[in-house]
Amino acid sequence: MEPPQRSMVRTPHKSVLVQRRSKSRSYRQSYRSCSGGPSRLCLTPALTARRLNTSRRPPKSQDITDKLKAEHLALLVKTRWKLSYVTPLYRFRHTQLRSYSRQLSAFIAAEQQRGVAVEVEGTQSGFRVSFSMLQGLASAENDDPETVLIQVHSKPLLSRQDEPQKLVWSGWLTCISGNPEYLSSLPRDFTCLPLFGSSGADGLTSVVKSWIQQTFDCCLGRLELNHTTLQWLLALWTNCHAQSNIQQLNMVWTLPSAPPLQVSFTVDPQDAWDLWRSVRKASAQEEEEEEEESCIDVEEVTRFLHGLKSHFYRHFRLELSAGSLSQVGTALGWAAVSGRIKMSSSRYVVTTLALLTECALLKMPI
Amino acid sequence: MAETLNLSASDHSSLDHSGSSRSGNRSLRIAEKQKRKKEAEEPFVVALRYFADVEAGTPVAGNDEFEKNMELVEEEAYSRGLSPEAISLMLEFAMSLRMGNTPCARVLKFLIPASVVPQDAVVRAVVWLTVGKIPAGTRVLFLKWFLTMFDMIDGKDQLRAIYGFIFSFIMDENMCPFVCHLLYLLTRKESGKQDGRQPFLLHLLSLYKVFCPELVTLSIPSRMRTGFRNHISPWKSALIAVQKRNSVQVAPSISLAFTNKEKSSSRKRKHDHLELPALSAVVNREPQTELFCSRKVVPMAQIRSFDQMLENMHRIELPAQMGSLLDSSLALQYLDCVQDESALLRLNFWLGYALQEEFLFAGDGGSSQNSAEALPFLNKLLSAQHFLQEGFSSTEAFLYKFLKVWDGSLLRPQILSLLSNIPVVPSSQMGRLLFEPLMQLFFTSSLFFKCGLMECLNNMLSKWLTWHSVYALEDDLDISLNSHTSTNMTLTGFKDSVMELINFVGRLASVGLQLENSHTLLLSFVLDFYETVCDTFLKYGLPLVVLPPPGVFYPALFATDPVSVDRLAHIMNRYKVSLTSAKSQEKLGEQSFRVSRQTFHEFNQYLINMVNCLWNSKMFEPGMGVQLGEELLLRSGVPEPWTSFSFIHHPAFMGYAFNFHQRCWPGRKDTDLNSIKHPKPWSWYVEYLMNQGYDGLKHFVQCNLTLPPGAGDGPDNQQVDLKISGRTFKK
Repeated sequence: MEPPQRSMVRTPHKSVLVQRRSKSRSYRQSYRSCSGGPSRLCLTPALTARRLNTSRRPPKSQDITDKLKAEHLALLVKTRWKLSYVTPLYRFRHTQLRSYSRQLSAFIAAEQQRGVAVEVEGTQSGFRVSFSMLQGLASAENDDPETVLIQVHSKPLLSRQDEPQKLVWSGWLTCISGNPEYLSSLPRDFTCLPLFGSSGADGLTSVVKSWIQQTFDCCLGRLELNHTTLQWLLALWTNCHAQSNIQQLNMVWTLPSAPPLQVSFTVDPQDAWDLWRSVRKASAQEEEEEEEESCIDVEEVTRFLHGLKSHFYRHFRLELSAGSLSQVGTALGWAAVSGRIKMSSSRYVVTTLALLTECALLKMPI
Repeated sequence: MAETLNLSASDHSSLDHSGSSRSGNRSLRIAEKQKRKKEAEEPFVVALRYFADVEAGTPVAGNDEFEKNMELVEEEAYSRGLSPEAISLMLEFAMSLRMGNTPCARVLKFLIPASVVPQDAVVRAVVWLTVGKIPAGTRVLFLKWFLTMFDMIDGKDQLRAIYGFIFSFIMDENMCPFVCHLLYLLTRKESGKQDGRQPFLLHLLSLYKVFCPELVTLSIPSRMRTGFRNHISPWKSALIAVQKRNSVQVAPSISLAFTNKEKSSSRKRKHDHLELPALSAVVNREPQTELFCSRKVVPMAQIRSFDQMLENMHRIELPAQMGSLLDSSLALQYLDCVQDESALLRLNFWLGYALQEEFLFAGDGGSSQNSAEALPFLNKLLSAQHFLQEGFSSTEAFLYKFLKVWDGSLLRPQILSLLSNIPVVPSSQMGRLLFEPLMQLFFTSSLFFKCGLMECLNNMLSKWLTWHSVYALEDDLDISLNSHTSTNMTLTGFKDSVMELINFVGRLASVGLQLENSHTLLLSFVLDFYETVCDTFLKYGLPLVVLPPPGVFYPALFATDPVSVDRLAHIMNRYKVSLTSAKSQEKLGEQSFRVSRQTFHEFNQYLINMVNCLWNSKMFEPGMGVQLGEELLLRSGVPEPWTSFSFIHHPAFMGYAFNFHQRCWPGRKDTDLNSIKHPKPWSWYVEYLMNQGYDGLKHFVQCNLTLPPGAGDGPDNQQVDLKISGRTFKK
């Protein structure tokens, strides 16, 4: 049916109409962004301000030892990782990993020839890059893309033939329990692996980063772990004490005095556990049913931290709440505000990565 | 040979032959002069002939004839330049080493063309180069000459044909940089594979990389220093002098220097988020695209002109990093045309990242120090957005975050311009995202920020309205406000947003004018805004009429400058036209939209007040918009306060009244403005006032007041023609 002509319609010229049609999409898109539906970017960027979840499931011990290769797992657990956030990768294919290995090797070699980066003890004859998938990390129920591990091996120039190549750099791209809304909003050409961890010479890190940026047209930025994230980690780790001993609860606080004051604060695991139990009291009763542990609320985390701080104040007359956490650590892991992290226990790797994925997703520009 | 030489030596010589026959009717002096000239030229022709005919192996040392002829050609070359034929001849003489190496270098140095260099000659010279007798220094000299004259060579096709020959010289250590430069100039689509790290090779390779990315795995720095030096120095001044003298415009300029983007700052930045990635082709092609190999793709980097883009529209390949597009209007044009969602998203991710890293996450308040980079970046972004006539959504997302931490002065013009580009925001979100931060900034900032923000919001509104007027009808947005339509945003939603914005600006303006004592500058920006608002219906087709709040209307009415009052009158006229047209459409049964009775009522009130105040001197009367207690009026000591804003006593027009009074009664010592009120002078005064160029007021008076033909009544008894007020619209 023809729409009725309106008297005030400025009837567009036929040829103009075609041109406008193509444009009209973007108008609709800008309209769409208003209605709260998917915008032209399929996301409603700033309109729905994303925040860190205020409550989360207590970490479940997950045995990934049988899912991952032992060497990979050992690498994950033994290494201190420097974190970055990554905007979605364009045309990344898990099926192309072999080709990526070749390309990145060539890229590193080229960069090395330019004499810009790459400085790993001694002269290197060449680098061998391997990309591999860490299947099993991503949860099945969530549509997370599989984690990708990048390793750079190198062989010293003057070495015997049979000498094995040395691992000089490693890094991974991951997405664990990423916000499904965000993930599904991306067009098919994009793969969201928002969390990037790296370990190795800075020179190589920046070479790999720039290769990723150029190849998948994405951006990598520093991922700092703010006060809230560190608090969460502290609470989540403490919550695991019953299953696996956390040994000690270590915190480093930075107080904004002149000169800046660093306070190392160590708590006995049992004391920490008792304190945590007391703030979890409300939910503890439900726990008796023991079906499934109730969610941990951010208020409980705050109360827990408040307990620790007031304890410290009672002894040292120093108000820790004036400052902020700069490092936290237990036997299960260690994390610093600068975005470095170590996941010491294989059983809680997944939970930690899930929290970090959330932090990385928060940094997405759109 | 002599024939051609005669011709070639100079056009003057041929002129002389005919000139001699005509010399009879010329003065003797001219003939003499010509004769002398001819004598001077003939030796040059002879000299050229000498070099053409000289036998190989003739000794140079002590050869006076050679020396004499050489000097002759040299002088000619430096004074007027050599003709193409002379160039051919001398180049052949030099490169063949007919008299050894010494004259060869000497000839090359003065080989200044008068117009163009024949391609054949250069090709022959290259052939001589392959023979290989020429010493290294001279080879380089030749290449330098070649490069310098490159733009003046009359054709390049044959040179490209011997590309392979020239390429083979790359192995020669001395010639390599020059050969690279040459190849850079000659390369079009050929491919090659080389390795090395010298800048000149890199530059050549960077070009290869553009054409065949898969062949060059070398990573080339995006910001390269100029890899090719200018070799023209030995010839430059001579060439320019000759060109100037001959005023030949062979090439617009000698611009051989490699035009790479030269970055101004050599200092290293800690972060370089704002650096645009290089426009490079995709290396990592999708496997499935290999199937379409028969359909060759053209990387964006190879597109140099609009024509080229049109030709290759169907097979253009977007670059590896979309951020590189921001710089190129050509690429933006393409992007706008293809509307590739993924491409836009990539661009947005990059842009959002750059903005947030620079302005939000830079912990050291970095952006203020880096405004040297930030300013051109934002300007680039702005011009891209203006070009696309649309804001990027990543900019929008960034702005919402940035407004909360902005101090209102950092890069103010740029940020406000970006803000004016944001697309329509749903009314429910506007308060949190826009109004709260803006309100805080508005009330704590200087007058100039207030004006800037007013302008920004005005631009924002007119962009929204323009979007609407261009696309709403086409998108079948239901004008009849059927909320069950499947369109993504209903007209109601859009209208709500616009109304929110207008009301917000109304509130800002009311308070702002009060804070700034109705500053004329601010008032002017506010009136700008209402000039947009009053036309929402007629100009942009949006069924919405929102009147200015009293806090805007009265400051404008009582403004001390006549321009503001005039603009207010103009705005009121436009409102009246809008309302009338809405009314008549409603009457015709075209349910376009209904204006609420409240709006009519308010408008009538404004209109009556304006007429009463300016014309009827009925200020402060009961029922008027502005009411003051009688005691207060008495205490003010102003005589006849109700007349104080009439055309005679209004502060904006009092000057005119005085002027008029003086002209009307030049003899009078004491000025009594009230005498203008009498019927005769009043009508003259009004006419006088209307002739000052206040079209808004003139129109206002013409539309709303009926001046009886005889103008027998005084102002106080003038009737307001209440066409819009009262009966017609009251139902």
